[in-house]
Parts: sequence; C-alpha cells; structure tokens
Amino acid sequence: MTSVIRTRKLVKTFSKGLRALDEISMEVKKKEVLVVMGPSGSGKSTLIRTFNGLETFDSGELEIVGIPLHSDHNERNVREIRKRVGMVFQQFNLFPHLSILENITLAPIKVQKQNRIEAEEHAMSLLSQMGIITQARKYPSQLSGGEQQRVAIARALALKPELLLFDEPTSALDPERVGEVLDAIRSLAEKGMTMVVVTHEVGFAKEVADKVLFMDSGKVIETSTPEVFFTNAKHERSRKFLNQIGE
Amino acid sequence: MRIKRYRGLFIQVIVSTLFISIVALFINNLSVNLLRAGLGLNFSWLFRSAGFALAEHPLPYSPSSSYAWALFMGWLNSLKVISSSLLIATLIGFLVGFASTGTNTLLRILSKLYVTLIRQTPLLLQLMFWYFVGFLSIQGEIFSPIKGMLSLSNQGIILSGINLSPEFSSLLVGLGIFTAAYISEVVRGGINSVPIGQWEAFRSLGLSENDGLYKIIMPQALPAILPGLTSQYLNLAKNSTLAIAVGYADIYAIGDTVITQTGRAIEGFLLLLLSFLLLNLIISNLMELLNKYILTYKQR
Amino acid sequence: MNKKHNLFPYIRRIAFSNSLDTCITLFILLAVFLLSTITIKWLLFGADWAVVIQNYPLYAFGLFPADQRWRPALWLLLLISLTIITLVGPRWRWLRKLLPITWIGVIPLGIVLLSGGLGLLPVASRYWGGVTLTIFLTTCSSLLAFPLGIILAIGRQSDLPLIKFFSSIYIEALRAVPLIAILFFGQLLIPLFFPIGVEINRVIRAVLAFTLFVSAYVAEDIRGGFQSIPKSQEEAAKALGLSKLQITQFVILPQALIIALPALTNQAIGLLQNTSLMAILGLVELLGISRSILANPLFIGRYMEVYVWLAGIYWLICTVMALLASHLEQKVTIEKLTIKN
Ligand SMILES: Nc1ncnc2c1ncn2[C@@H]1O[C@H](COP(=O)(O)OP(=O)(O)OP(=O)(O)O)[C@@H](O)[C@H]1O
Ligand SMILES: [Mg+2]
Repeated sequence: MTSVIRTRKLVKTFSKGLRALDEISMEVKKKEVLVVMGPSGSGKSTLIRTFNGLETFDSGELEIVGIPLHSDHNERNVREIRKRVGMVFQQFNLFPHLSILENITLAPIKVQKQNRIEAEEHAMSLLSQMGIITQARKYPSQLSGGEQQRVAIARALALKPELLLFDEPTSALDPERVGEVLDAIRSLAEKGMTMVVVTHEVGFAKEVADKVLFMDSGKVIETSTPEVFFTNAKHERSRKFLNQIGE
Repeated sequence: MRIKRYRGLFIQVIVSTLFISIVALFINNLSVNLLRAGLGLNFSWLFRSAGFALAEHPLPYSPSSSYAWALFMGWLNSLKVISSSLLIATLIGFLVGFASTGTNTLLRILSKLYVTLIRQTPLLLQLMFWYFVGFLSIQGEIFSPIKGMLSLSNQGIILSGINLSPEFSSLLVGLGIFTAAYISEVVRGGINSVPIGQWEAFRSLGLSENDGLYKIIMPQALPAILPGLTSQYLNLAKNSTLAIAVGYADIYAIGDTVITQTGRAIEGFLLLLLSFLLLNLIISNLMELLNKYILTYKQR
Repeated sequence: MNKKHNLFPYIRRIAFSNSLDTCITLFILLAVFLLSTITIKWLLFGADWAVVIQNYPLYAFGLFPADQRWRPALWLLLLISLTIITLVGPRWRWLRKLLPITWIGVIPLGIVLLSGGLGLLPVASRYWGGVTLTIFLTTCSSLLAFPLGIILAIGRQSDLPLIKFFSSIYIEALRAVPLIAILFFGQLLIPLFFPIGVEINRVIRAVLAFTLFVSAYVAEDIRGGFQSIPKSQEEAAKALGLSKLQITQFVILPQALIIALPALTNQAIGLLQNTSLMAILGLVELLGISRSILANPLFIGRYMEVYVWLAGIYWLICTVMALLASHLEQKVTIEKLTIKN
C-alpha cells in the first residue's frame, strides 16, 4: 500500500524554545483512518497543521500525498498539497459573508477552475450526503453548530481530496450535536477516505480508527490499534492519560 | 426619588445660567468692540469687487469679481485638492495596509518605517518639504517617462496635457502621502480584526493569498474599515486648509485674505464655518451611501 | 534546535517564497541600497550644515535675549526632570502627593520664567520661540485640555438633557472645524470677546485656542473609554450604595482613563506636531524660527538641510513621547488592572 503521509524526525520549535514537535516519525497509508490523542498542549494541532502547511517546521522530512515539503516551506508545493488535502477545524471557520453553497463552490471555481453549474451540482450532492441539502441558500450564522460543521466537511470534500484532516471537529459542539458530525465522518471512513482525526471521542476512535497515535510533550509515545490502545496500552503515560479521561 | 429629580433640575438651571451668562458677557463685549470699530454685522460687502487676482480658479474669475465669487472659487479649489488627494491617499493607504499584513517580511518592515516616519513629523513640515524641496527646487524636467504624458518639473506635474501647478502638486503629494499612512493603519486594523481561522480556512482550500484577501478577508474587514476611513477623509478635508502654507488658494486662504482686506472677521469666520460644514456633510453623506451599498451588497 | 542550521530555509520562507515575492524583495533591496547611498552621500558631502550649526540657540530659544536664555533652559530642565520623576514613580508618598500640584505649577512657572516680572527682566512674547515655545504650547495646552475634556465627556454622558446638549454641541462643533481656523479665531477674534483694555498675549491666546480644540478630542477619547466599560461595573457600584457622582469619580472614570490612555497620548503627540501651525500665524516656534532662518540671505535655498534637521527633531521628540507613553501604559495597566486575572 502507498503511504499518504510520511514524516521522519519532524521538529518544530516555537519562539519560546519549547518543542511542540519533537522528532516525530510516523506514516499513514492509503484508506487508513488515524486517530491522534493526547493531553492538551501535547502538539496534536501543531502536527496536523503541518500536514497542509498551515504550520512550518524547523527540520526533518515530510511527504504528503507524494509531495515533499521542507523547512523552507516551498510555496508551490504547499499550494499543491492544499489542493489535494482537505481540512476541518474545531471552530468550523465557515466564511460568514458567503452562503452555504458559495462556501462550498468557492474553491472548486477559483482553484480547480470548474464551471459554476458543475461545481454547484457537486456541492448539492455533497450537501445531501451530509443531510443538509435544504440549507444551501442560507448563511452560516443561520445554521446550528452541527450543521455548520457538516457544511465545513462538505466544503473540504468539494475538492475531492486524497486526505482529510480533522482537528477536534466536535469539541465546539453541544453534546447532543456531536453524534451527527461523527456519523458523517464515519460514513466517509466506510467509503475508504484516508483521514487523520484529532479527537477525544473514545467511542468513535474504537469504532472507526485503524490506528491510534498517542502524543505527549511533542513526542509520539505509542502507535497501536484501538483494541490494544484502549485495553492494553503499551506505555505507562498512555494508561495514565486514559485513566484521566475516564476510560 | 423626588429630591433627586429636583436636584438634577437645580444643577441644570445653575449650569445653564452660568453658561448663558458667560456667552452673553462675551457677546456683549463683542458687540461693544464691534460698534467701537464701526463694524455692525452685515454681509453686503460680499458683493463688492474683491480686487485680488487668483492663480487658480476652476470657473472664470477676475479681480473685479465679487468677494462672494472669490470665496466660492476657494471652496471649489478646496474640493478639487481634497478629492484628488483622497483618491491618491486611498490607493497608497490600501496598498501599504496590505503590505503591512502580507507575508513578505521586508515589505512589512518598510511599511512600518513609512508609517512611523510620516506620523512622527508635522504635516505642515511635510507640505513645505514637498513644495520647497520637492517641486520648486527641481532644475529642468527630472522625470518624464512618456513624453508629454507625465512629467515632473518646477512647473508642477503635467499629466497627459493637464498642467497641475506646483502648489497643487505639492499639496496633492503631501496630503496624499500623509493621509495614506493613517489609512494604512485603519486598513491593517480592519484586516487584523478578521479571525485568524478565516485565513487558515481559505489557505487550506488551496486558494491563493490574493484570491483569499479579495474574496474572503476584505469583505469581512470592510465594515470595520469604513468608519475609520470616513474619519480619515474628514481629517484630510480639515488638513487641506494647510494649503495656505504653500500659497494654494483654498477656501481658508481666500477667507484669510478677505478678512484681512475687509476687516469683517466675524462674518468671514461664520462663512468659513459654513463652508467646512458643507464639505463635512458631503464627505460623510457619500461615505454613508458607500456603507449602505456595501451592506446591501453583502446581504444581496 | 540550532538557529544557524535553519537560517537559510527561514530566509527563503519569509522573503523568497515565490517568484513575485522574490521580485519584490530584490527590488526593495536594490531601492533601499540606492536610496541609502544617495542619502549618505548627501548627508556627508552634499549638505551644508552651517545653517543648522550656526543657529543652535535660535532653534532652542528663538529670539530670547542671549543673557536671559538660562530662563527657558531652566524651565525645560525642570519639565524634563518632572516628567522623569512622574514616570519612575517615586517611592516616597509625600513626593507622590506633591506631583499633581507641581504639574499644575508648571504653567505659571513657565509664564513667569518666560515673560519676566517678579524681579526678572520682562521679555515680550514675540521673543519667545524655538523648541521652548513648541514645548510651552504643548505642555500648557495639554494640561488645560485634559480636565476640560474630562468635564465635557462626563457632560456628554449626563442624564441631564441640557448639559448633555451643550457638551455635545461643543464637542461636535470643534471637531468639525479645522485647527487652523480655530487658531486664527484665537489670534483675531478672542480679543474681540474680552472687554476693552484687557490685553492677552499672543502665546496665551494660542494656548487658549489649542485648549479649546484639543479638549473636544480628549472628551471623545474619554467617552470611548466610558463606553468600553461593562455595564456590570456601574451596577456593582450601585449595589454598594455609591451615589452617581461617586460612581463616576471612583469606579468609571479611573478605568476609562486607563483605557483611553493610548488615545490620549496620541493626542498629546498630535498636539506637539500641530503647534507648528502657529508658524503660519506668526509665532516663531520651531518651524516658525526655521522659516525666519531660511529667509536670511546667508542661508538662502538651504531648505533641504533645515527640513531634514526639523524632521529629525520632531521625530525624536515624538518618539520619546511615544516611548514614555507606552512605559506609562504598561505601568498603569500592571498596577491597576492586575486583579483582572
Ligand atoms: N502560535 C504559537 N506560538 C507559541 N506557542 C504555541 C503556538 N501554538 C501552539 N503553541 C504551543 O505549542 C504546544 C502545542 O500546542 P498544540 O496547539 O499543538 O497542542 P494541542 O495538543 O493541540 O492542545 P489542545 O488539546 O489544547 O488543542 C503548546 O505548548 C502550545 O502552547
Ligand atoms: Mg489543539
């Protein structure tokens, strides 16, 4: 199987000298779902954001969907990666001045130069896949959090990405809205989408993840299958973390 | 409750009595002084001939024209210099604002330098610099990339056949560059008020920085920029009265001449106030229209 | 991570990330290089600095009689030391209590030192000038405009309709009019409003005009501060049984002033720059005295040197003011608002 993400000794230091990423080496294969877990401040967001060039790094090697990225952050490569990798944020980050449909069609029209009709048709099919086709003409502020996050997923899917990144997609939602978003992600996994998901949802991880990566203080502590990680974690620190989140 | 209301009333009565008596005292002094100088308030002098020449006048004017007409020419000259430097200031201001929020570090440092240099020196000094050093001391033509289209000399700027006087040119450049520094700060503030998540979202969709700025960031930044822009435009209008320092005949300069010639200080001053009020009204109403247009455009 | 190892990719990232960026960076480097060589050449070889060097006393004190120059110098020195003492924040309570009174005393002291009387040789106001006059105008006008601005701001927030009306009219009217018109008003019209026989010297008239003008802007800045204080503060104070006046005095105003501080210091810096407008109206403050120097046949045409010199002085004073202000801001925020977190 080909790998979609490959990193070797990735290091990132913020100005204060603290290592947010400390020699991270890892791999994600095609059609794999990787769940990233770890305590607050362990570097999960930093890691996932380097995967589409939102965050630069200091040294090490990174290859995303076959494109190498170095610490000089070559802009052409970054753009190419972003065209082929989708990202969903904790705070949705929908564009408030654009309608739902425009939010989704903006990138296909501007980046892939699709014509409007084609882009809108595809957008509508994505919205129906997410179960919110009736909201197409509304604006983000008129939608509930769960609906907004599903729009964000549709927006990320509109470019037909080879890899989807999720940074705590359900953390900003009301508890009763979490399920609908997780269901949407689960159905993507069933269709064979390659994904990296940062989340604290243990149930989701057990069910959907192929591998769980556990981070602490910028280091990869262990990478295991969910069966091993949640019942018989190899590492002391992983077990402590699982205790703390009540597992 | 009752006592409180009476106390409020009491304070108001005292303050207004005080205020009115001071104003009355001033007005009394004023009328005594004016009567002594033989100057009762009247405006008939406005229609006497002015007797001075004007270097620049958008409409036909000669020394035999009336004071009123001279003042009107001044007002038009003000309007001319305000509107043209407003365009330049907006253009430069937005460019510098973009540069100061952009990704190129050198460009960011440079725009910062520009802003501090302009903001930490007096406008009047800058205007004099542009006039005496910038235009009057040019020897011959120093800059004419396209023959007859654009040239700089001590005769001012020649732009495709239109000759702008050195006075007008230095005001145009000076006010433009000065106001642009302030506008760039307004633009920078507006752009920075857009949440960082919006930048990350458009970037992760593969949109270019330019597309993102134009399609995503600016539509959200504009409502925050417009009020600041309006007040900078109003400041520009007020600052344009420094034209007198480089000898450009704007409304204030002509008003000053008229008052000195006729001795009609109070009336002249009232007319000046009126004309500024008119300028302010024009600017703030136009900006209000723009604001409405942008809001309706946003909601469609 | 050793920084050296990463220097090259870092520079590439911030300045050469794509071809447009590279073009811009190279163009700027070229332009900066050319400009700085021209400037340095001019500064060292092209310029004739005699117009500056021979006239230091004029730039500093204007036409003040040579044997009396110690008076403005003394006043400036006192002012600077007072500023430093205020900013350092003396440890002794009695000295801190003395500060406000000393600040108020700065104005009469300056007037006495400059104009004479009380045993000093009288010096007419037309001999006041240079940096001294610039600083005198700035200091006096800001010290007077500050309390007036506070009163106007409170007036505009007042529940009493008449007071609110008068304050609003005043603030709006003064903000609508260009400064030069108000200064002109001060020079030409203020005498008309006073009884015959009352003579007010030109400099004091200018101070009055600046005060009227700046107080309107100060009032708006403070009102901005008022508005950014949460309503809950007022409610909490009411619940403690404070009267309306007490609430304003002890709860709202102190917080509003801290919030308005950056805007207020900008007003002071703006005022210093705006004192240059008096050059048009016949005072010989820093810009005015330079115009007189430039009119001297000996220095004809030396505009560039003088303007660069002036820009340097103004820039220096304004930058120092801005630095002091930001120091003050930090101090005040740390001292007053630490309870917040
Ligand atoms: N822009 C930044 N500047 C400086 N330090 C940062 C920055 N962003 C993150 N950090 C630091 O890097 C470390 C990792 O942060 P990161 O956001 O990746 O953690 P996280 O695992 O996502 O935490 P959380 O679960 O709270 O989201 C933290 O110690 C954080 O303080
Ligand atoms: Mg995070």
